[in-house]
Amino acid sequence: MSFTISVDTGGTFTDVIVRDASGKQTIGKALTTHGRVFGGLSESIKAAAADLGLGLDQLLADTTLFIYGTTRATNAIVTRNVAKTAFLTTEGFPDILVLKEGGKLDGYDFTKSYPAPYIPRRRTFEVPERIDAEGKVVRGLDQDAVRALLRQLAHRNFEAIGVCLLWSFINPEHELAVGALIEEMLPGVPYSLSHQLAPIIREYRRASATAIDASLKPLMQKHLFEFEQDIRAAGYKGQILVSTSFGGVMDLASVMQSPINMAKSGPSMAPVAGITYSVAEGLGDNMIVADTGGTTFDVGLSRNGQLVYSRDTWLGGMWEGDLLGISSVDIRSIGAGGGSIAWIDDGGMLRVGPQSAGSEPGPACYGRGGLKPTTSDAACVLGYFDPDYFLGGRMKLDVAAAREAIATIAEPLGLSIEAAAWGIMRIATDHMVKAIHEITVQQGIDPRESTVVAGGGAAGMNIMAIAVELGSDAVVLPKVASALSASGMQFADIVTESTAPHFTSTLRFDSEGVNAALAKIEAELDRFRSQIENAQGAPWRIEYFAEARYLAQVWELDTPIPCGRFTSQADIDVLTASFHDLHERVFAVRDENSPVEIINWKGRLTVELSKKMERSPNADSFRAQAPDHSRTCFFGGDAGVDTPIFKPADLRTGMVISGPAIVEEPTTTLVVYPGMTAEISGAGNYILHTRPEQA
Amino acid sequence: MMADDSKRNDAILMAVLANRMDGIVREMTNTLLRTARSSVINSARDFSCALCTAEGELFACAEGLPVHIFGVQTQAAEMARMHPDLKEGDAFLDNDPYVGNSHPADHCTLVPIFLDGEHMFTATVKAHQADIGNSLPTSYYSSAVDVYQEGALIFPVVQVQRDYKMIDDIVRMCRRRIRVPGQWYGDFLAAIGSARIAERRLKELCDKYGKDRLKAFKSYWLEYSEARMEKAINALPEVTLKNTGHHDPFEPFLPNGVPLRVAIDVKPGEGRIEVDLRDNIPNVECGLNLTEATTMASVFAGIFNAIPSDVPKNSGAFRRVNVKLADGCVVGRPKFPYSCSVATTNIADRLVNMVGSAFSQIDGFGVAEGATGVGVGYAVLSGRDHRYDDAPFVNQLVVAANGGPASNSADGWVTYGLPVVSGLMYRDSIEIDELKMPIIYNHMRLRGGSGGAGRHRGGLSCDLAYGPTNYPVMAIYQLDSQYYAPKGVRGGQDGLTAGGWHVRADGTETALPNSIQVELKKGEYLRGFDSSGGGYGPPRERDPALVLDDVLEGWETIDRARDVYGVAFAGLVEDETLVVDAEATAALRKTVPVADFRVG
Repeated sequence: MSFTISVDTGGTFTDVIVRDASGKQTIGKALTTHGRVFGGLSESIKAAAADLGLGLDQLLADTTLFIYGTTRATNAIVTRNVAKTAFLTTEGFPDILVLKEGGKLDGYDFTKSYPAPYIPRRRTFEVPERIDAEGKVVRGLDQDAVRALLRQLAHRNFEAIGVCLLWSFINPEHELAVGALIEEMLPGVPYSLSHQLAPIIREYRRASATAIDASLKPLMQKHLFEFEQDIRAAGYKGQILVSTSFGGVMDLASVMQSPINMAKSGPSMAPVAGITYSVAEGLGDNMIVADTGGTTFDVGLSRNGQLVYSRDTWLGGMWEGDLLGISSVDIRSIGAGGGSIAWIDDGGMLRVGPQSAGSEPGPACYGRGGLKPTTSDAACVLGYFDPDYFLGGRMKLDVAAAREAIATIAEPLGLSIEAAAWGIMRIATDHMVKAIHEITVQQGIDPRESTVVAGGGAAGMNIMAIAVELGSDAVVLPKVASALSASGMQFADIVTESTAPHFTSTLRFDSEGVNAALAKIEAELDRFRSQIENAQGAPWRIEYFAEARYLAQVWELDTPIPCGRFTSQADIDVLTASFHDLHERVFAVRDENSPVEIINWKGRLTVELSKKMERSPNADSFRAQAPDHSRTCFFGGDAGVDTPIFKPADLRTGMVISGPAIVEEPTTTLVVYPGMTAEISGAGNYILHTRPEQA
Repeated sequence: MMADDSKRNDAILMAVLANRMDGIVREMTNTLLRTARSSVINSARDFSCALCTAEGELFACAEGLPVHIFGVQTQAAEMARMHPDLKEGDAFLDNDPYVGNSHPADHCTLVPIFLDGEHMFTATVKAHQADIGNSLPTSYYSSAVDVYQEGALIFPVVQVQRDYKMIDDIVRMCRRRIRVPGQWYGDFLAAIGSARIAERRLKELCDKYGKDRLKAFKSYWLEYSEARMEKAINALPEVTLKNTGHHDPFEPFLPNGVPLRVAIDVKPGEGRIEVDLRDNIPNVECGLNLTEATTMASVFAGIFNAIPSDVPKNSGAFRRVNVKLADGCVVGRPKFPYSCSVATTNIADRLVNMVGSAFSQIDGFGVAEGATGVGVGYAVLSGRDHRYDDAPFVNQLVVAANGGPASNSADGWVTYGLPVVSGLMYRDSIEIDELKMPIIYNHMRLRGGSGGAGRHRGGLSCDLAYGPTNYPVMAIYQLDSQYYAPKGVRGGQDGLTAGGWHVRADGTETALPNSIQVELKKGEYLRGFDSSGGGYGPPRERDPALVLDDVLEGWETIDRARDVYGVAFAGLVEDETLVVDAEATAALRKTVPVADFRVG
């Protein structure tokens, strides 16, 4: 047998998917070990191996590809638990990381102090030099001053250096010279140069990316090195790839060179999984993936089979956190999940979140001392969880504690405990619906024309309720929903991007300059491809994009360029037309008379790792017989409903389960609401229908 | 969701609908942000979206700028009054400062929304325009003696769409008179698109929940908001707050500036606040007069800043606030034909400060004063660009930091901007500015030791300078805060005054007056200091750990730490070994503080 193993190391759980040559996937889960990651990782692989009747050694020996994803980089960024990093910038402009781009969430809120910059101001150093917007050296680099500065950095034991000088992406001369001096005077100290990492206009974005990347280098290089060491020591001899923010995978060496690309290592894989399952189930390639965790709800998209990317990824909140600055798969997170706390405000209105009980003490029903009512408690009160078989029997739920917590909401509202619980679920659901609307609207996507793919252990609790509100009747809950990101890695390609800035306008299109920029991009992507072992002989493609906007707009849209080079007016016209269409789709208006400006040019290389999921086999539908188990559940009315409970042994492909019903699998629970149906596909996934006549 | 219409569950439905309404306004906002053409809208976020009821009440407004939003309800009411035959598919344009608009440069698009044939809501989208056809190429005409000299094209709730089709007459008028017609038209389309999004979403909501439930929600939501405001007021003591403020002189047309005063009666028993602005000077013969809308908006913004609560900002909450205004008053109801060209910033900023800081007379409430002044960092630049065949350009910078006010629980926000925008606006990128205009920045750095000292410290002043790279560049701005600094409260120190200098090629600096129009030649710079936020509470009560962090970061100096904050250190800043010397600090804090230490 030949296996592919993918691992998603989260903050709490490490998820593993082992996929055999026939495409069958097996889940393993274990608690994440935060010291040396391999501890939890090997436990979760062992769990999967045991299900396959194999030992860890045997499984590793039969595995040819190992894909690793982790939240380690994200956690390090958010907690600022990173290397002691110096930030070097152009003299006169020491506050780029402080001033950012402005914006605030609530203008009336004066209770919060301004967030500290990613690199403290005390570790920011000014370099005497200046280049202007045309790339001309206005003030030469003062090498002596840089040497003196670097001596000081050595003396103060800095562990990493980020360099972002104004206009370096137009003329990198000074950044390169600083880099050379670092190599000479501080050999071995990792550093990042902004024009290499993120050659884009807007100094804060470039600076933030550079500072984050440099600060991660010592930590992530050590982390990946240890990971490789440990897995080799365990006997694994195959190839290793790492999942990145591009929604693809890369080799270890490339990721170590720019570890910022691991910032969305896990979450970026949910949309990859989403497309895979939507297409495999014959539900098209316009897809919304919703991943429900304990504390966050993540949403991602695909359109016509393409992932959706963004340069506006903030870690730690929009405007007030830190901007990644690099292009990554567009994932929006809101603080909503099983742990969201319900409360009543002083106007008597029921609210859910944004506060969360987290995993410690967690919801009241966990019985770990949590007293506040949460969404999980609501689900517990409504009968959606088997208190004795939660998380596949790994945890018992304290129903009495959940009822007691919900009662604190029910009493002041004059509702029964069940009605209050139903209200909490409904409001929590609505927050999630709003989060989905925000991202789909910004991409000009109609959720009614998209398939919803659900992920996360808690997804089944309300995914059908979400789908009803979105008006979507095509919903997939993959069998491996609880390890969706790890599953996505199994179907990821090698993806990387290269950017070249070159400002031009359709008024006076500079074909020569643009073609030079595109050639530079192509050369860089070719170089990357030639260095990757897995890429040799594999099919590949480069897609080109213009970051374009109407004259005087400020925000750009990634506009596909069908041609690789601009050789005639016709090529320019195609780009212009493509931009008008995109603008109309996203913003509902087009302005044919306006010139189009382009700020940056981008190429995205995709090397296909040929192992797509096969189309789900046909299964003859049949109506499910009532299973042996049932439980009283509540679906909004005051009276409980005797609800059939389907256990793994009851489930067959092709089976159509009509709501009300609960399906309990070891790692996920699915609530089929009254009037809705769930069908088990030939591949074992759940195809959910919010309208009964569709079944 | 599932059928469950029991009366008792209405509370849940109301919460769901509240969430939806907020989502709709956010969607309007996002749409406009990404589609607008002028940089004051799309990069600086100088616009606001809201939903009003058909009856003319402000209903929901998400992240709108206070100075824009708290007034659109009057415009919505006027639309219904002037056009009794409103129909589905209509749209209107209003920028009349004497009808209910903020100032003429804010074009407000209004779309009546019909649900099942009944006018239920009005969507409003208000956006600041780069040009509105004034007699001078500025949308802030500070020296205009009246509306005729100001010369703006005025649209008193004029119909611009019928049956969802554009009435091209109006578009032609604007295109003929507005200096950047393409840009204006792009913004105009974006505004209508944004309002139509609201219409579409509300219709979907109505299809799902029915008109009756939406009607019930309309009254519920306003009553709920009113109840929350009442509770917030009831948490205050019964007190009368008096406060004053002062806008700087503008030479030559406003030699004494504008003194301001306010009296605020807080009546917790009645859950009501009364604000009296009648004791103020008459309209002034320049463009600084406030409109009724911006006067009310500034009062509400000041109150909301002062009360720690997430009360929904709408007409329900406004019901708990009575504002007494005089006719023909500089802050009140202006008398025609005085100009209100600059009604959204200068005096409005001072009014927000005056009201917000008045509440600090109650311990634990209110805020200090925030930086004011639309100076060097907000200048309108114009000239010719040698890089683009000498094409003319005109653009407003939005790069000032203007430190925010300290409060009882936090230091001033660094990128506060102005009291009327309160940190919500975006700032330009240096590189984008240098790309769009033939200018180069010399420096931009926060000034250590510039924030008003206090238990909580005011936001810092920023020092910046830029100049032309080739042809001369004209810079126009109307600063404030060169005479009257933002005030500290409860023992907190005042912020610093702002400044502006014309720096010649040989390095000599000429101080500039508040209202300037200056031509910069290559090699010359325009340099400015923002003003900074005032402090809250005595500086010697500031947590020494925060002072330590300030000194390490360069936000405060060692000298000020010792003399103003009474904090002594051991170790060095340079190698981060600096620590608080607790004993010496205790001793210092027993001595008499230096009254008003200033950075050099």
